[in-house]
Amino acid sequence: MLAPIRFALIGNPNCGKTSLFNRLTGARAKVANYPGVTVERRSGALTGLANPAEILDLPGTYSLFVTSPDEQVARDMILGKIAGETRPDVLIAVVDATNLRLGLRLVMELKTLNRPMILALNQMDAARSRGISINTAGLSREIGIPVIETVAVSRHGVDALRNILADHSREWANKPLADNTQTLSLSSIDELSRDDSIEELYKHIENIIAAQVIQPDEQPLWQDRLDSIVMHPILGLVVLFSILLVIFNAVFAWATPITDVIKAGTTILSAAITQYMPEGILKNFLADGLIAGIGAVIVFLPQIIILFFFILVLEDTGYLTRAAFLLDRPMRGLGISGRSFIPLLSSFACAVPGIMSTRTISDPRERFITIMIAPLMTCSARLPVYALIIGAFIPAKTVWGIFNQQGLTLFALYLAGVVSAAIVAWVMRRNQPRQEFPLLLELPSYRWPMAYHLLMGLRERVWIFLRRVGTIILSLSILIWFLCTYPGAPANALHPAIEYSFAGQLGSLMQPIFAPLGFNWQMCIALIPAMGAREVAVSALATVYAVGGNGSVNGGLDTALGTALTHSWSLPVALAYLAWFVYAPQCISTIAVVRRETNSIKATTYFAFYLFALAYFAAWATFQLATLLS
Amino acid sequence: MNLAVNPSLTPAASLRLDQCKKGAQLRVVNLLQQPLFGAQDERVTLRLKELGFLPGALLKVIGFGLMGSDPLAVQVNGTKFALRRAEAAKIGVEFVGTEIIGSV
Repeated sequence: MLAPIRFALIGNPNCGKTSLFNRLTGARAKVANYPGVTVERRSGALTGLANPAEILDLPGTYSLFVTSPDEQVARDMILGKIAGETRPDVLIAVVDATNLRLGLRLVMELKTLNRPMILALNQMDAARSRGISINTAGLSREIGIPVIETVAVSRHGVDALRNILADHSREWANKPLADNTQTLSLSSIDELSRDDSIEELYKHIENIIAAQVIQPDEQPLWQDRLDSIVMHPILGLVVLFSILLVIFNAVFAWATPITDVIKAGTTILSAAITQYMPEGILKNFLADGLIAGIGAVIVFLPQIIILFFFILVLEDTGYLTRAAFLLDRPMRGLGISGRSFIPLLSSFACAVPGIMSTRTISDPRERFITIMIAPLMTCSARLPVYALIIGAFIPAKTVWGIFNQQGLTLFALYLAGVVSAAIVAWVMRRNQPRQEFPLLLELPSYRWPMAYHLLMGLRERVWIFLRRVGTIILSLSILIWFLCTYPGAPANALHPAIEYSFAGQLGSLMQPIFAPLGFNWQMCIALIPAMGAREVAVSALATVYAVGGNGSVNGGLDTALGTALTHSWSLPVALAYLAWFVYAPQCISTIAVVRRETNSIKATTYFAFYLFALAYFAAWATFQLATLLS
Repeated sequence: MNLAVNPSLTPAASLRLDQCKKGAQLRVVNLLQQPLFGAQDERVTLRLKELGFLPGALLKVIGFGLMGSDPLAVQVNGTKFALRRAEAAKIGVEFVGTEIIGSV
């Protein structure tokens, strides 16, 4: 069988590569590990072609003369310089038709590589509605490569591209691709002297545009009007904080109806097992281990979907870079910049993609600080833990007419993370020499978010979450159940059986270390599996209390778990536990990605140590303070 | 590199982008050196040119950040960019006109 032909999508940031990728690969795309800005290659099988074909989505880049690590990935990928990766056979240069000059400049640069290439003129619908008309045949003739108009919003819009890819793949399948490895640029691109080449190239592009394109100078007025509000120094910040507050409120308020349905479902299932299954170890396992563990986590799926929905929408509309613009100056005082804003914001979903997207930061010093503080942004895996404890200890009162007190507490926890991150960044910056790096951030045109793209993004997120539930969380839940159940209590036991189990013993061993923080042994136990995934702390607590509490927990799941917690913990302890989760680097994957991105064991050790120390101190201070006050 | 200020070629470049007001319409005259960027100044110059800040290009200042009017947002060739004052000070411009932007 033939090796699949490899196509690679390359283009400026924000030109719609990823939407095009989603369209071309459809539901068959290999789901990447992490959503968000494309910082690493994503690949998928190209659907609807006779010959096998694979398509790569590369990070956005303005130039082959790179200024940041993500642009480097894109360039090295095209040049086949990445170990273990074959060079893509055909390049699909994606150009935003509403932003032709910038896109064509990259295309002209790519052309010097002498590789088979197709130009996809994306966002043709937006271009037309702005009165831009492009003579694609003429453009194709002038540049010397096929030019296809695409509209990533509609399925229709990529059919032409798919057809031409099909044609080409047939053609290329028959004759082995000319091996163009002798292309001069491959080796010489780094040293390429380019004194006047940019001016020359732009002159050439201006000529092409003058001949083949009719475009009005002005951008649509509403875009400028919107910018004058959104980017206004004061109004803009009001808008930004309103948006953030709405998001946090929605995470709690909107999710409730769906959460209730899931809860009801698990309750019915659990009740059925308790009623119809014969007594025995299997029943205990299903009710206490499986359903208590998995159910406790899956209940939070709606909240995670809502959080991701907002992040995806903000990203798709082009708003995020405006926020980065507004926050650049305040953030610079902390040694980071507007460029750190997007990595930090995506860390609210998960620190792993957040840390990976720091590759868009060209200043290595700023990148280091951003990596160090990214996990202080409250990730979605902490949400179940927060939600459980807040739900159990904070009354759902409405304050100031519109805000839910639980939502406000959640907001305060998020804020605690952000403020701490600011302080940490500020301290780290003081130890480093200052050197100026440019911001040079494109503010893309506003765009309506595309439903399809949004759905693909959410689907990806749901899939990742469910896969985590099915693998890490499931296996950890089983392990916890096992540790809580064995060995059984001796015949003459004075205490509940669970205190004789491995979990009980381990918890008692750990408990003295955490005693100053007020943690009991159940809480200590839950910290261990939380290293695999934070949300397992919830299932671990559910299992520990379900096994220990003669099955009183496995009825109503987290409501019942909440009740169990209120009986077992005091408010200061609960708050201390929350404080611990704000800081602790509770997840192996984060530590692993820090190791990979910093490529330094020293930096990674520093990272883990400072966060654990901070967590311990914060939980201790919270516990002591809250005890004093209550 | 021939990107340094060359007085003989650019007699009119007394104005820099970072000195301009919101709504100003400008034409790029030349690209200047910025000692703040140290060794990578040349690279910043190249990137600015790649993004379209070339002599002759028309710019429009569309907004400023909160503190110290930093960063500033400019439009060049229909594309908007956020630049810090340090980058903006690399762009020598001449004044073309003033436009009232937006309604706020």
